[in-house]
Amino acid sequence: MKLGLLIDLDTCVGCHACATACKEWNGSSSVSGPLSDYEPFGADPSGVWLNRVRHYEVGDYPASKTINFPMSCLHCEDADCVSVCPTGASYKRADGIVLVDQEKCMGCNLCAWACPYGARELDQATGTMKKCTLCVDRIYDVLLPPEDRQPACVLACPTHARMFGDFDDPHSEVSRVSADRGGFGLLPELGYAPVNRYLPPREPKPLPGVDDARALLERGLASLASPVIRR
Amino acid sequence: MKPALSIVFFTVASGAGLGLLALLALADLCPVPLLSPAALIRGLPLALLLIAAGLASSVLHLAKPSNAWRAFARFRTSWLSREAVLAALLFPLTFAYLAAVALDTAGMARALLSIVVCLLSWSVLFCTAMIYASLKPIRQWRTGWTPAAYLLLGHWSGALIAIAVAVGYGGEPVSWAWLAAGLGVAALLVKLGYWHHGAADRGGKSALTLEQAIGVPQGVRPPGVSVAQARLFDAGHTQRTFLTDEFVFRIARQHAQALRGAALALGFGIPLIWLATGPRHWAAAASVAVLAIVGLLAERWLFFSDARHTVRLYHGDART
Repeated sequence: MKLGLLIDLDTCVGCHACATACKEWNGSSSVSGPLSDYEPFGADPSGVWLNRVRHYEVGDYPASKTINFPMSCLHCEDADCVSVCPTGASYKRADGIVLVDQEKCMGCNLCAWACPYGARELDQATGTMKKCTLCVDRIYDVLLPPEDRQPACVLACPTHARMFGDFDDPHSEVSRVSADRGGFGLLPELGYAPVNRYLPPREPKPLPGVDDARALLERGLASLASPVIRR
Repeated sequence: MKPALSIVFFTVASGAGLGLLALLALADLCPVPLLSPAALIRGLPLALLLIAAGLASSVLHLAKPSNAWRAFARFRTSWLSREAVLAALLFPLTFAYLAAVALDTAGMARALLSIVVCLLSWSVLFCTAMIYASLKPIRQWRTGWTPAAYLLLGHWSGALIAIAVAVGYGGEPVSWAWLAAGLGVAALLVKLGYWHHGAADRGGKSALTLEQAIGVPQGVRPPGVSVAQARLFDAGHTQRTFLTDEFVFRIARQHAQALRGAALALGFGIPLIWLATGPRHWAAAASVAVLAIVGLLAERWLFFSDARHTVRLYHGDART
């Protein structure tokens, strides 16, 4: 199994709902929690987040586009964060989820150094490394209705820009959509084989009638203008 | 990368101690007596003290030191774990070797112990270097120059301490001075090579770009555009985060140049010039060794502050 997320950069509006839903669920989770905040009401608030949304501008005006870019652990197949861990706290499960055993972690930071994606954050209050668990305590919880057995970020997304599934199964929804729309993994150059996939923005289809309408409008304006000129 | 003082001190102090230990063990094997027994018996604990001080400092770096004992668990994959296991082995074996030296035993057992201690010192130094050289996201470190520099700099600072011990307690300071000079020149050349590699790599074709990081070549770009430049519009958080603290560390250019000057002058220039004048006083030798270590602290600070982690691309750096 290769469980992971499929993130649609076409429909993501950059609202940070996934990040806050993640913080809410995982902050009180027994697997990853707490996600400590430092000086939350002070002048310089900071804290641990497992999912962060950044915003980029690609291209130059007028041919430019804003890309909202959510990032969390990509659950790499070849995860260096696991192999560099000296204590064995960092491990990869058979279903592909990369986790940190909070009991074993000694907070040496080496796994964060080994991750090019910035997916891991040290919790200064607990002294241990925190990361996305793919909501492992939601997705297998049989007490939840089946439609709720998904990561909190996926459920929270108002534009359905996030999908969760098994990338090992070629017939799963995430595999099919990723194949259809050219889903890609981040920084393949480094060889980590990340499981999460991102969908590039769609090429806009020519809107039916818009070009005809424009021609009609221009002709209409010309006919309106001509009597003025004649007079 | 943010230079953590505990790690800067750890790598320099343990490096000098391990270099000293390897040189003492080699000197003991050498048929020409380079050190008197009195010097050897004082040099070995000094080396262990430096290594222990460094290791203690490295534990301070941990956010949860109570779990430090677990670091022995992943010898098969983790260079940090290998370093911990080999360093833990080094101590009892060096104590056994020290006992052999103190009892003035001669023969196979002592020779074998000195070989094992020397090989272990080299292994621990190499493991420390490989912790950094094996990290793919930090291109400046991922080169053969890194382990070469760690090994040579450890032996260079170790040799300067060995001179002080040889002058103070009996030995062949002139031979040690020649050895130290050779190591110092080699270490300087390797460090210059490392810096040159880092500078050349930064503008090189294989450097990663912000566009690669967010998938512009894979289609994350405006419609109808085939090549596009990307820039950070908003990092999504108003204050500092763990990632910006740890990885988006910036050192002012003039400070970096001052540190580089200090590393070259204190770490190499002054000790090499002093070696040329000939070592005579143990106090002078010890002062030069301390000066060189201060220079290497500046060098090690730069080793971290110059390194540019890939995650900086996501925070707006154009290239690594």
